Amino acid sequence: MVVGEITEERDLIVIGGGPGGYTAAIRAAQFGQKVTLIEEQNLGGVCLNQGCIPSKIWTYTAKKKSEILQMNKLGLAVEEPPLNLDQLLTYKNTITKQLRKGVESLCQQNQIEVIEGKATFTQDDRIGVENGHQFDTYIFQKAIIATGSAASYPSDLPTESNRIILSHDLYELEEVPEHLIVYGDDDLALEVAFTYQSFGSKVTLITEGDLNFDSTIQKELKRILKKKKIKHLKGTSRVTATESSVQVEINGDIIEATHLYTSGERYPNTQSLGLNRIGVEQNDQNLIKTNAQLQTTKPNIYAVGDVTEGPPLAVKAIKQAKVAAEAIADQNPELDLMFLPRVIHTNPPIASVGLTESEAKEQYASIQIGEFSLSGNGYATLTGQKEGVIKVISDAKTELILGIHMIGEGAIELSSNLVQLLEMAAKVEDARFPLYAHPSGNEGLLESIEALTGQAIHQSIKNQKVKERSFQ
Amino acid sequence: MLEVKLHDIGEGMTEGEIVHYLVSEGDTVTVDQPLVEVQTDKMVAELPSPGQGTVKEILIPVGETVKVGTTLLYIEGEGANPTPKTSPEAPTQTVTKESQTFQTKINRVLATPHTRKVARDNGIDIEQVPAKDPSGRVMEEDVYEYMNGQNEPKNEPTLTPSQPDEIPFRGIRKQIAQKMTQSLYTIPHVTHFDEVNMTALYNLRKTLKHDGISISIPAFFIKALTYALKDYPVFNAELDEENEKILLKKDYHIGLATDTENGLIVPVLKHADQKTLQTLHHEVKQLNEKTKAGELDLKDAQGSTFTVSNVGPLGSTGATPIINYPETGLLAFHKTKKVPVINDADEITIGYMMNLSMSFDHRVADGATAVAFTNRFIELIENPNKLMLEMI
Repeated sequence: MVVGEITEERDLIVIGGGPGGYTAAIRAAQFGQKVTLIEEQNLGGVCLNQGCIPSKIWTYTAKKKSEILQMNKLGLAVEEPPLNLDQLLTYKNTITKQLRKGVESLCQQNQIEVIEGKATFTQDDRIGVENGHQFDTYIFQKAIIATGSAASYPSDLPTESNRIILSHDLYELEEVPEHLIVYGDDDLALEVAFTYQSFGSKVTLITEGDLNFDSTIQKELKRILKKKKIKHLKGTSRVTATESSVQVEINGDIIEATHLYTSGERYPNTQSLGLNRIGVEQNDQNLIKTNAQLQTTKPNIYAVGDVTEGPPLAVKAIKQAKVAAEAIADQNPELDLMFLPRVIHTNPPIASVGLTESEAKEQYASIQIGEFSLSGNGYATLTGQKEGVIKVISDAKTELILGIHMIGEGAIELSSNLVQLLEMAAKVEDARFPLYAHPSGNEGLLESIEALTGQAIHQSIKNQKVKERSFQ
Repeated sequence: MLEVKLHDIGEGMTEGEIVHYLVSEGDTVTVDQPLVEVQTDKMVAELPSPGQGTVKEILIPVGETVKVGTTLLYIEGEGANPTPKTSPEAPTQTVTKESQTFQTKINRVLATPHTRKVARDNGIDIEQVPAKDPSGRVMEEDVYEYMNGQNEPKNEPTLTPSQPDEIPFRGIRKQIAQKMTQSLYTIPHVTHFDEVNMTALYNLRKTLKHDGISISIPAFFIKALTYALKDYPVFNAELDEENEKILLKKDYHIGLATDTENGLIVPVLKHADQKTLQTLHHEVKQLNEKTKAGELDLKDAQGSTFTVSNVGPLGSTGATPIINYPETGLLAFHKTKKVPVINDADEITIGYMMNLSMSFDHRVADGATAVAFTNRFIELIENPNKLMLEMI
């Protein structure tokens, strides 16, 4: 018998404006949904403002810096350019702002209502949005949770030190560390190691075990690390810090450095959403459980991105966002992350899709391996970027391509071809038959496929033996 | 640190009074443990703990009325990230395949994304489709062939007849059934619909609220209704068929149709015409609480002369309500919505519009009178100033 306050009604509410959130909002709008997007801080999320985008400005700068002296050989007289970190920070802010504006404009064009505030589910069809003293309630038909994740200090590090740099804080740093310890073997850590090596820091990489790559890529990566004088130490370690330095005790030695970088542990931003109250189930790491269409245990609520199970990558969030929005629009989409490309902007970069050699050995009776060193590629030779290798793994019986791994210039751009071959369930001839542009790095891929049968053209005879491995 | 906030626990609740804390500062609490009792305008509710940890600080003292969204207390979680326990609420859907999308094994059938989509769109599990190609590749044609084969009704599952669930038909449910049947079979019902622009009333209410006076919309409805009933007394009446009389009543006892867990109950607000808006506000609230809590006295549920049904908070835009026999009219208030309204200057403005449905006994009144009655009611609600004039 009580008339309530006006509670506003919405078709679809997306919580979080990162790559998962805004992608879901736009895709849903494309299907005619009236979408409301709630973002606490900046559109674009961690990816655009602190993560992917800023870190790639750094890796790109580092790559260009390392290439620039090479120009002298081509007759372009250049001197080692000093790094102006202030300018780089300004550039980063300009770029992130520009991209953010782009997202804002897309939201506007798609008539997405963007609300600033902190969202909490008050009931399973209701969201409260807090913004300062304002608290508004919205009723929704469907909701997508895309609140992402945040980095936290690993519990075994001393937390009180300005010398320990966590995750994206690195892209705010106003000085180049004299000696940087990169602590951890995750993809971000490897990018940081290469970047600061190029910026002039002494870099020490400390990992617990081996680097987690296909054996061939790992071998080449180690060689390149060594060549760039990035010291790699493996083993259990202990970190202590003072006001001006960091010490790591490893294998009985003490390594002292000016700074230590760690990517930290990521935990999903789900605490203040009120999920327990409304019955959205999470696993023991607080990640939200979903089905293949990203539906949570409350069928009108979906979840995408870092709050769900699986790797905390924007590429996953973006795909999930489209699947969730299409599922809401009754489009019957499917999520299959089997051939999710792993790409790392090291110098040279790494791209990896499908099974590694050891994974393939476990699943197939006999496999074939094709490897091609980029030093045999004409275009790589003329650009002076000959480091790296491409490796193809196929099933010896059916000739199905199982995995492709590359370290070398152009790997990231080429990664889409690698994904497509696997996604189209290509067999060896499907990859060998097409024409590959000449001269280009693409030919490296063709030659690695030809190497499966010992037929790569630009490879020395001694490396040409067919690597067929049988495990029966 | 977890903030425990007063959240909307009932239809459109905006504020609540802290009745009692069930925990003290320093107590260890677990997920879903009740923390505090809050009195809303409908009921007393318990707020459960959103996480586990230690109660750090209680911010709002007992007896204070606070808005939805206000932080009541802080809980210091165990670790930065409180470990949630699975909610006792039964999941409505089974989440399966959660880890399957992240596997690294290539154990799927060979088919291009296009072929997979064809299968998916036709509800076919591609893993079940036999490949004609000796290499094991499933082609688009294979999917269509498999589909056509499936259409032949050879494997039709046998359907066993199911038994319906039973609910005992007695108690309040049976009483409601009897009353409704009696009313509808005795009274020739007519229902008409109209709409009310609530904008002015909302604004008035907002102004009052700003000054610290909270008066619910139903209180205004009842006030306006008593004046409309005085102008059209035939709707505050009862038909005495035996003695061939229509009894125009001088008491204005308003029945308030209320949805409870057990079914429809109609508490009665007595002498509504003699009460101030604030008294009406409090009595509506009290009757509601009592009714919802199942603590209604019999005397509070008898003697109504006209009944209203405020279904708006639940939803709906129209209804053909059944009159509360032996009364002669019933007014139902529906959902208030924000809609474009054309004002006197021919501009499109945003207004709050509400539909109402008026059922009346066609033996005692005619359509024109009923419309005049609702027009009077609408006039008073749309122009709260006129309502004030009546009250002077």
